[in-house]
Amino acid sequence: MTAAVREPSDLQASNVRLAAHQAGTAFLGMVIFMGSWAMLFAGLFFAYGIVRAGSHPWPPIDLPSLPLAMPAVATAALALSSLAMQTALTRARRSLSGVGGLVFAALVLGAVFLAVQISVWLQLWSVGLQPSTGTFASVFYGLTVFHAVHVAVGLFALAFLGIQGARNRYHAAAHIPLRLWTLYWHMVGVVWLLMYVLIYLV
Amino acid sequence: MDLQPIHPAPKSFLRRYIFSTDHKVIAKQFLWSGLLFLLFGGFLSMLIRWQWAFPGERVPVVGQALFAKSDGIITPASYNAVFTMHGLIMIFFAITPILIGALGNFTIPLMIGARDMAFPRLNMASFWTFVVSMTFIVLSFFVQLGSAAAGWTTYPPLSTKIGTPGLGQTFVVVAIFLTGAATIMGAVNYVTTVIRFRAPGMTYMRMPLTVWGLWLTSILNVLFVPVLGAAALLLFLDRVFGTQFFISGAAAVRGGGDPILFQHLFWIFGHPEVYILILPAWGVVADFVSFFSRKPAYWYKGSVIAMTAITVLSAIVYGHHMFTTGMNPMLGKAFMILTLIISAPAELLFLNWLHTIWKGSVRLTATMLFTLGVIFVFALGGLTGIYLATISTDLYLHDTMFVVGHFHLTMAAASFLASIASIHFWFPKMFGRKLSETLGKAHFWTSLVFITLVFVGQLAVGYAGQPRRMWDPNQYTFVQHLAPLNRWTSYFGFALGLSQLIFVYNFFRNVFGPANAEPNPWGVGTLEWTISSPPPPHNFDVIPTVVRGPHEFANPDVQVLLGRDWVAQNEVLPVDPPNAAAAPARGVTQS
Repeated sequence: MTAAVREPSDLQASNVRLAAHQAGTAFLGMVIFMGSWAMLFAGLFFAYGIVRAGSHPWPPIDLPSLPLAMPAVATAALALSSLAMQTALTRARRSLSGVGGLVFAALVLGAVFLAVQISVWLQLWSVGLQPSTGTFASVFYGLTVFHAVHVAVGLFALAFLGIQGARNRYHAAAHIPLRLWTLYWHMVGVVWLLMYVLIYLV
Repeated sequence: MDLQPIHPAPKSFLRRYIFSTDHKVIAKQFLWSGLLFLLFGGFLSMLIRWQWAFPGERVPVVGQALFAKSDGIITPASYNAVFTMHGLIMIFFAITPILIGALGNFTIPLMIGARDMAFPRLNMASFWTFVVSMTFIVLSFFVQLGSAAAGWTTYPPLSTKIGTPGLGQTFVVVAIFLTGAATIMGAVNYVTTVIRFRAPGMTYMRMPLTVWGLWLTSILNVLFVPVLGAAALLLFLDRVFGTQFFISGAAAVRGGGDPILFQHLFWIFGHPEVYILILPAWGVVADFVSFFSRKPAYWYKGSVIAMTAITVLSAIVYGHHMFTTGMNPMLGKAFMILTLIISAPAELLFLNWLHTIWKGSVRLTATMLFTLGVIFVFALGGLTGIYLATISTDLYLHDTMFVVGHFHLTMAAASFLASIASIHFWFPKMFGRKLSETLGKAHFWTSLVFITLVFVGQLAVGYAGQPRRMWDPNQYTFVQHLAPLNRWTSYFGFALGLSQLIFVYNFFRNVFGPANAEPNPWGVGTLEWTISSPPPPHNFDVIPTVVRGPHEFANPDVQVLLGRDWVAQNEVLPVDPPNAAAAPARGVTQS
């Protein structure tokens, strides 16, 4: 780099470029990381496919069948949660207020999802669907619990982001953490949608 | 305007050497860990060779200490753990940290002209996750029933609770998941750094081939290590929570899961993994043949295309590891053809290397010797691979010692020799001191001769039908006549093990002490040689502006203008019409 004359406006412009470059780098890194993690879930879905192709009937007739209504509520909660995060990000980008509230709304909806999941597990467990009852239960618990761990990690992040948002830390010039975790949250949502369709519905 | 501000160097010992975010320090941490595990893994291979030479006889010297309960004899159970951990340690805890952790961390930012990785703290997290993983590996040896013993491939049902009930196997599965996470963190960093932090003028087609190899490796790591993570996760669930993904037959409920499923997941990762380990080696070889032949790399772009093509192909050939699993023959044929197609770009790489050396002013430094060694062993390994890629011959050779000889020549010996070549080459930049050339050459010739003898010996007994992983190969009548060959191979193996002490001595003699190496002892123009040895914490005082490719050797104009046969990538020539107008400030140059 050439040693240009350092006028105040120059410095300001260079700081803006530096911040933009850092934001772009962080986002690219997150996209690559999410792509990598998507491959992990792809591996799990692949395993589900192979196991299911070799088992008849699916689901086994003597095991309790999976509920549909409650998980649908959970799906809706997670979708709304994603929407709240996206809105929070959009508002932060335009330096508008209400970022913290929206993130907390996303947090509550995520917690609703997790609570529904736990109640579904407990209910199914009590009526006899346990991992050792075969591949159906293995797939059900293995995939949904591993996904729920990601939701739980996300909730911690959302709590942090909500506090920061309530303190008006996120605005047009500074919102990298919000942007990265929104991407993460969307990813968790999309994986859940696939799970809901492939495990509960199909 | 500077996109990479200089941060003040950390003062405290802890931030500087232990929890450091400096890519050069992290590279050294990976190097030390990798070399330590390389010694350990090598020691385990000595035990295996002893067992194959003298099945069931007392191990000399260390036997009583290691196998006290069996009076110094390697029991079948211990033997299973020994060969399993030899493979796992060498792949995940020796070659990976040395070639990718150390070499990748050290060279990528320096060679592309960056101050550090894109995410320095993620880089530190990668190493410390790796430390936790190493801890699990070490602990696994001290729990009841010992360490993992289901083979490095960890196939169920052997690797489920039924085959290996001990806690050691669970620890190793956890360790594999963690080391995978560490690898992904590193790979995300490498991929991002190369995309975002190349110095001005460092176009993709001006990057050293070392960086190309490491970058392609990182892309494969990002995409396929998580699939290993999925396999390890499901295996962990099976072992700890009683799920039934891989359990079948009498042990399972309702027919259970599918052990073959694990093989799919494992090899979807496992075949790219082979190229993950060899692409960095190819990268450094492609650079070194140019550096030490004092000639530009022949058809640089062709090498890039070939490596990229192999990277893509490596993702769609995994089925050739599973020809004998009852795979649909049509599918098998497709995998066979795709696999054989890989030999075309691989040949292209070879021809480029040979053409680079052809009529060059070859300087047989230790680095160059090891580079030639890589080419030699990889040629042997590559040619034997054709027999394994072809279904009809693979059906006979599958799970014989031929496979063991093949992958040791390609993925083990080639990456090992490339690691040593790289250590010799970058040692002055890393530690500011040079390794002894004489000792390096002695290490090279002993290593090369004995590597060839050991692994060709394995190819030979395998071709004669000896199965791999046998505790006592002589239990089969048809293998008994191979006992002398096995014994000779073991003697060569012990000699190979002993000759590594030359390197250990050379390394320790030179690693400590005052920095007295020149900034550029090899006369090479890539960016890391334009700064001091070892470099300052921020690498470059001024981010260099790159004006040419990495292999500008024997340029007649440069010889007239500068009086030397090389020119740095950022060096602006005193008379250079195309650049004279567009060069306001001269880049950093050095004598």
